[in-house]
Amino acid sequence: MSWSNPYLLYLLPLAVLPWLSRNNEKQIVWQALLPKDSASVVIGFTLYLLASVTLASLIMALAGPHIPEHTVQRSGQGAEVIILLDRSRSMDQPFARRHRFRLSTEMNFKESKRSVARYYLTEFVNSRPDDRFAYLLFSEQATTILPLTYSKETTLATIEAGGLGRGLTKTDIAVALKQAGKMFDGETYRGARIVLLISDGGQILSTEQEQQISQLLRENQLTLYWIYMRSVTGMTLDEKPGESILWQGAPERQLHNFFKTLDVPYRAFEAGSLEEFSEAMATIDQQHYQTLMLEQRMPRQSLADYFLWVALLSLLPLTVSQLYTWSGVSRAYHPKKH
Amino acid sequence: MSLSYPKRIFLTALVMLIGLLMIIAALWLPPIDREIEVMDSLFVIDITDSMNVEDVRFGNEHINRLDWAKEYTRQAILSMPCGSHAGLAVFSEARSLILMTPVEVCANYHDLMQMLSQFHPTMAWARSSEMSKALYTAIRQAKEITPQPTVVFLTDGHEAPPVHETLFPKFTDTPGEVPGIIVGIGGSDLLPIPKTNEFGEIEGYWGINEVMHRDVYASSRGDAAELNENRPRTEHMSSQKKSHMETVSKRVGFEFISSPTSAQNLIKEMQKISVTRQQPVKYDLFVWLASVALILLILVFLPYSLFIKQHD
Repeated sequence: MSWSNPYLLYLLPLAVLPWLSRNNEKQIVWQALLPKDSASVVIGFTLYLLASVTLASLIMALAGPHIPEHTVQRSGQGAEVIILLDRSRSMDQPFARRHRFRLSTEMNFKESKRSVARYYLTEFVNSRPDDRFAYLLFSEQATTILPLTYSKETTLATIEAGGLGRGLTKTDIAVALKQAGKMFDGETYRGARIVLLISDGGQILSTEQEQQISQLLRENQLTLYWIYMRSVTGMTLDEKPGESILWQGAPERQLHNFFKTLDVPYRAFEAGSLEEFSEAMATIDQQHYQTLMLEQRMPRQSLADYFLWVALLSLLPLTVSQLYTWSGVSRAYHPKKH
Repeated sequence: MSLSYPKRIFLTALVMLIGLLMIIAALWLPPIDREIEVMDSLFVIDITDSMNVEDVRFGNEHINRLDWAKEYTRQAILSMPCGSHAGLAVFSEARSLILMTPVEVCANYHDLMQMLSQFHPTMAWARSSEMSKALYTAIRQAKEITPQPTVVFLTDGHEAPPVHETLFPKFTDTPGEVPGIIVGIGGSDLLPIPKTNEFGEIEGYWGINEVMHRDVYASSRGDAAELNENRPRTEHMSSQKKSHMETVSKRVGFEFISSPTSAQNLIKEMQKISVTRQQPVKYDLFVWLASVALILLILVFLPYSLFIKQHD
């Protein structure tokens, strides 16, 4: 228990006031005229005590007793999710556009890949109450701008900010994946760990990069999801017979093939339309309801009411006795005429 | 003044009864709604190389401009009343990048600080520092956020490449539409700018021949060759560019404060120009009611006999 205004506790000595006060005593002619009555001694003592308790508990209630904000461990259903959203310039282009013979000059930003991703990420975060989210900003460098947090407000604000402005020029998926893997270095295992990569392009990785990434993901027991926002209609991450020769060995496919060789659970979702994108998010949503140890922040809890109750319960008999005395005294001073 | 015994008893009983009612009210009166004024703000922090110059101090510590900007932002966020919102952005190259739209400052203080601590020159995506253009993009993006925040732009005002005195980047929006403040950082002496490598470590300084000393217009004009020859070549060094920031702030309708000493300077300035919102907060009256009860009871039990001379 702590106090918000501890200096008010210096007023506590005021609780002795009732014992010094003689305000309610009556001057009488001779002490010895008073009858000796042990019951009234006890009652008198109790009344002094009640008065002291009332004063002390009021002072303590005003000093702001409270249990400070603290965290408690509880188990929930969810996962720890690292969001890796591609911020490259290509994500500014419209999502799932139909094939046209000439390039469109109008840019519909409402349906750019980045804003579509933002929309569904927001839905995803809102639908998962117990998850912990982190957000990794990556262009040529990767920075964990939001370390794992329970706060939905900051997660959503970061996702929203990701949809503002134009994209950055280049992206380096290797740097981002390494950074995501490192985020769990030295962290205790609390439950499912997911890396959610949303991008519209692939990258050819060097053998060294592949080794580093595969080691980091394996050691930290991560699950990798890749939502691939298809730019070219028709191209799939897995090869299909009779397809265009241009698609063979595309960076996206090479990255996909590398991900498949990883020792960690991996799944790719190819989003070519809004429906497919939302289906992908729904599938991930369903798959990850495992037990997750999570910390819940308990808000500061005021205990002032308990002290007020003590004050109330001690002042009540005091007031009643005083009223009783008053009625007795007024009867004695103004006797009813018969 | 002396009261008769029955009157004393009556008064005491009455005051106790009032005190009792006060405590009951303190326990059962529901909290009332009170409106407080809150602001929405967006802090944009310069993370270009010139911010690594160590020519500012916080208290007795000699620190670099970026650390100063981060510490100042932290203190400003701390000084805001709960219910206020703050967002974070960085600026490098010729644009501002918003990283978090405004969130409530008290509940999300920890996350805001976590993000702020990540601001390093390594985050920069290019090596130029076009402050005016970055300011314009910050303003444009602030307009997309609802409720629209007040922009706080923390920079030393260094433009690399330099801008021409009259042919500056054009501001196409309405000045003053988005309220904001430029906070100038840095000392007045020209100092060499540290160069950072890809890991963010400082590796020497920018050399005199590694930076542009003239804006693009002047450098491509043959007839100005003589004039250019006589101009000092100091763009590889940096100081706080006060007059430039003043000009830019006038152009966009911002306020300019140079090297403020406390976060209160900024907060006061922000309160003047911000579009404040009324936010209802629950306000519990129990403190007042319990105080009245306490004072009444102290009056009842004060040993008056010790102060007042008894006239027998």
